[in-house]
Amino acid sequence: MPPLKSLQHQFPSIDSNLLHFCASHGIFSVEDFLVHDLYMLVALAERQTSSKGLKEGIAQVLTFLNNQHFPWMNGVELLESTQHNKHFLLTGFDGIDTLLCGGLCEGNLTELAGPSSSGKTQFCLHAAAHVAYTYMCSVLYLDTSNSFSSKRISYRVNRLLASPNKGEKGRSLEGIMSSILSHSVFDIFSMFETLHQLELSLSSQAEIQNSKLRLLIVDSISSLITPILGGKGPQGHSLMLNVGFILKKLAIDYNLAVLVTNHTVVGEGGNSKPALGESWKSVPHTRLLLSRDQMSNICNMSILKHTSMACGQTASFRLDG
Amino acid sequence: MEIWSLPFSPSQRAKLLSAGYTYLHSFSHLSPSALAADLDVSPQEASDVLRVVTQAGMMRKPDSIVAGAQTAWDILCEDRTMNHITTSCEDLDGILGGGISCKEITEVGGVPGIGKTQLGIQLAVNVQIPVEYGGLGGKAIYVDTEGSFMVERAFQIAESCIQDIMDKVLQTDDVGVCQENLHVNAILANIFYFRICSYTEQIAVVNYLEKFISAQKDVKIIIIDSVTFHFRQDFDDLALRTRVLSALAQKMMKLAKKFNLAVVLLNQVTTKCTDGSFQLTLALGESWSHACTNRIILYWKGNERCAYLDKSPSLPLSAAPFSVTTKGIRSVASSCKRMRTT
Repeated sequence: MPPLKSLQHQFPSIDSNLLHFCASHGIFSVEDFLVHDLYMLVALAERQTSSKGLKEGIAQVLTFLNNQHFPWMNGVELLESTQHNKHFLLTGFDGIDTLLCGGLCEGNLTELAGPSSSGKTQFCLHAAAHVAYTYMCSVLYLDTSNSFSSKRISYRVNRLLASPNKGEKGRSLEGIMSSILSHSVFDIFSMFETLHQLELSLSSQAEIQNSKLRLLIVDSISSLITPILGGKGPQGHSLMLNVGFILKKLAIDYNLAVLVTNHTVVGEGGNSKPALGESWKSVPHTRLLLSRDQMSNICNMSILKHTSMACGQTASFRLDG
Repeated sequence: MEIWSLPFSPSQRAKLLSAGYTYLHSFSHLSPSALAADLDVSPQEASDVLRVVTQAGMMRKPDSIVAGAQTAWDILCEDRTMNHITTSCEDLDGILGGGISCKEITEVGGVPGIGKTQLGIQLAVNVQIPVEYGGLGGKAIYVDTEGSFMVERAFQIAESCIQDIMDKVLQTDDVGVCQENLHVNAILANIFYFRICSYTEQIAVVNYLEKFISAQKDVKIIIIDSVTFHFRQDFDDLALRTRVLSALAQKMMKLAKKFNLAVVLLNQVTTKCTDGSFQLTLALGESWSHACTNRIILYWKGNERCAYLDKSPSLPLSAAPFSVTTKGIRSVASSCKRMRTT
């Protein structure tokens, strides 16, 4: 919460008189203001000589506070908003779309965990190509390990363009691939900066190639967090949870489907479990575990956590090419 | 934007938060001396803090949805002209899509004696093949942690590389020009060698590389042989090891992307027991296996050396045989190939 004196420039009614009055009651920041008994404060302000100015100032601070939080919604409004805005994005793998009851859900943060070379990046590239093609929208791919392969995307889009049932003319490889953006991020602070920029762009309703952004992929979030997690302070943990919250906020506010990938570590008993620890477990809405059969192109996906479905169900898909 | 998302050190962040500065606009119209008095720090530190804050505050709506993002189409057009660093073995180049690619980290692991260092030295020489003859014409950085780099072997490999180019050129009659430009000493002079004796030196070198490469301006490959050595013995704190290694990998990724060069990390093997059976896997654990973009595992198949591409974002997983000869890394059948004289 900012100190009260920084609001002086924005709101002229918060003048030095008010600041002096508040300081005499031990109120220096907006936080102190919230904690204090407001009725008492107003009553004390009445007794002062400049009570009108003081009460105006207090009302101004209260208005400022009211603008800081999201407006209240009731259950009916929430349901309407969900039905209207939060659609499912098909990933292009039929088995997976059936498993997820429609695909990647807008407004949700989906985590895909798996051991090395199990097909996570391939799944992300495939989903990006399919979503950009099917919904004529934009996709943003944040890449932390230089594994964004434009070749694989072009392969997938060409297959989709050649398939007989989508009979739209005039769509080119260039057009579809120009709506898939890729950006490399190598540490957690650049990630915060990038997400902040994204929020600025989305709030001013920017569009890429006249199409709306509907899918955000981060491959992989664990490479950004592993260098800072653990160690002496809790800073790594708090940064990890903060990035999770920012992603979820972006998903809900702007109706994005957010897909992040995570790696696995060996847990007790030799089983592999998703990395990033216990605190991260509650952050994604949906958690999926991927594994690949030895020496084959078949990948198996199972549900570890889902907000509206039972866990443990599995499906397979094949990586072609 | 909030303070915790800016790159401050933990002590700076703690001081800022306890003084009540949580949002960017808390700093508006604040002078360095006032901030220094408030936080109880030196004026220099206060002006550093204000500099970070003003930089963050200057973020305007970027031209594209995120500044610095490229469309997949632009990347595809760029990649069509991207060069690969040949390994001098056609089969190996085949499974790698032409050779070691730039902008990516390739991890090469295998049992001792399989030829990892040989491959490293071969790549350090091959990156210098001039652009006219299909190479990158760049310089190499070789970070040696084990002491296995032998200059005499590099000399031998460089000589054979020049000989191969001359043989190819003989067929097109440009011999004179070629001889002037290629010389073994020039090739050796373009391999920058760092000898590392502890893990802290390894971290220090990686941190220093950015400045070094900005000054040198032509480095196209960084080889670390091996990245494992100083992290295996006497390293008790495994959590620290994971943190240090993942930070190292991310820094190398940034270097690879920023300067458009290839990074090759050589790794050793270890035994893993799963359900009572023992298996050879690459060292440094599960978390490290996610750090690289591509992974090649070298192994013995009977009497033959083979390479298996274990991880790649754009190529199918496949294997190819190779051999280590006096000339360096070559294809298996090359010893039986006769030179064409026409």
